[in-house]
Amino acid sequence: MDKLASLLHTTPAIAWMVLKVVIVFAGVMSLAAIFTWVERRGSAMIQDRIGPNRAALFGKIRIIGLAQILADGIKMFFKEDLIPAAANRGLFFLAPFLAFVPALLGFAVIPFGKSFVSGGTTYHLSVLDPGNGMGMLYPLAIGGMAVYGVLVAAWSSNNKWSILGGMRSSAAMVSYEIGMSLAVVSIFMTAGGYDPAEIIKAQGHQPWTWNIVRQPLGFIVFFTCMFAETNRLPFDFAEGESEIVAGFNTEFGSMKYSLMALAEYSHMMTASALIATLYFGGWQVPFVKDPSVLLSVACFVVKLVFFAWVFVWIRWTVPRFRYDQLMKLGWKRMLPLSMVNLVFHAWRMSQGH
Amino acid sequence: MGVVVKKAELSWLDRTYVWPVLKGMAITFDHFIKQLFTPTSKRYTIQYPEMKKEMPDGYRGLHELKRFEDGAIKCVACFMCQEACPARCISIEAEEFSDLNITQGFEEKRPAQFKIDMLRCIYCGMCEEACPKDAIWLRKDYELAAYDRLSMQFGKWDLMNTYAEADGKDRISQDPTPSVPRRTIVM
Repeated sequence: MDKLASLLHTTPAIAWMVLKVVIVFAGVMSLAAIFTWVERRGSAMIQDRIGPNRAALFGKIRIIGLAQILADGIKMFFKEDLIPAAANRGLFFLAPFLAFVPALLGFAVIPFGKSFVSGGTTYHLSVLDPGNGMGMLYPLAIGGMAVYGVLVAAWSSNNKWSILGGMRSSAAMVSYEIGMSLAVVSIFMTAGGYDPAEIIKAQGHQPWTWNIVRQPLGFIVFFTCMFAETNRLPFDFAEGESEIVAGFNTEFGSMKYSLMALAEYSHMMTASALIATLYFGGWQVPFVKDPSVLLSVACFVVKLVFFAWVFVWIRWTVPRFRYDQLMKLGWKRMLPLSMVNLVFHAWRMSQGH
Repeated sequence: MGVVVKKAELSWLDRTYVWPVLKGMAITFDHFIKQLFTPTSKRYTIQYPEMKKEMPDGYRGLHELKRFEDGAIKCVACFMCQEACPARCISIEAEEFSDLNITQGFEEKRPAQFKIDMLRCIYCGMCEEACPKDAIWLRKDYELAAYDRLSMQFGKWDLMNTYAEADGKDRISQDPTPSVPRRTIVM
């Protein structure tokens, strides 16, 4: 690390930071891109179809259709980039970035592996080191910002269907944010801190001491709210072919649309990272007390991919909600449930001490 | 008079929503695993260029003009198919031929030209129905596409050879007996 840093005329701290940023964002983005393919193949398999398996490298190497990602990217890149005449041009350009950037930023505090000591300095495997004072509040806040992407996209395209989709989506996000935050608060309480490193440490390495076992109710609430948060089925109210055309991204084409679609998948990655960190012990390897760094990273990636797959899986299992059902579920079920969860754990802690 | 629709009574377990979702996930996962480990040849999807669908009996695809063992055309140019054709895509020109073995020295009719415009044909099978000699069949080839209009005009020899490869027969491009030159009738 020192050699590399001196080669690039930077300090080791900066070089390590740049390396982490590149690894994390390249990793998350490529995982998101792969999951666009996984979603299509997975849904096909679930519905007894085959899915995209034809795209091949140089027309020969098929690699089970993985080249479809590349093909889609190239196609999107060369499409015409239309802007509606009545659109708000500035915001129209900004919207895909507003959707995409928060989806990636949320990943910054999540530790994706065990910290290790090398040459007298401790290296933490998360973009922002633990003890930065923001902790888990940061991804929640950034996640709340994701609604701007949808809403700005909807409003700037000056389209009635778009604005309907954007409004519905932002309403859903606002309603589910509360239940989600309360579920997370009870984790903060039991873990005694809101830093992800502390939360992971508090969960330990035995699967039955993870928060999924300690707070199953909180998990159900948080998991459901994550679906609403990422705008995925069964809560995909930003879209809706039968009602509001394509919803908030009706007017978007070319790379703008591609970025919007990728934002959804990046959001999914961040959400599954949050689920893994909060409820499934983060990088902790089950039954292994002191795992090696590589093993812990691999375990985290496995958890991340599994929960991203659960997102896909649920999407192709559960039918969509009606809008009033969504609101009813959000305010009358999820919010009281997370309240009960919070009060129950507060009561247990008060009995314990 | 309205119909009273009785709503299904859900048990408390079903009303939690979580349990039914888990059941549904089990079903979809079952489908996923089954489809994942089914070999390609046993899946419902027919992967077209590599795999082809076996058409059912009675399918009406590309025509074939049948021939005798010696390669002589079965068609006697009676024009029944041309008359029966609702799309008017068949056009026949007749000629006379004579062969001592087959026609005992008399002149017989056969098509000199037998054209089907495959762009007009609706594959209704009326020509097959109308034919008194079973000389035209609609068979199972359905891959009828071409890059230009001209290659969709099938002539007599095209039609006689449409299934030559499939049946393992030789391609022919000549009648076994020459036609009789048209005689000028001197009154």
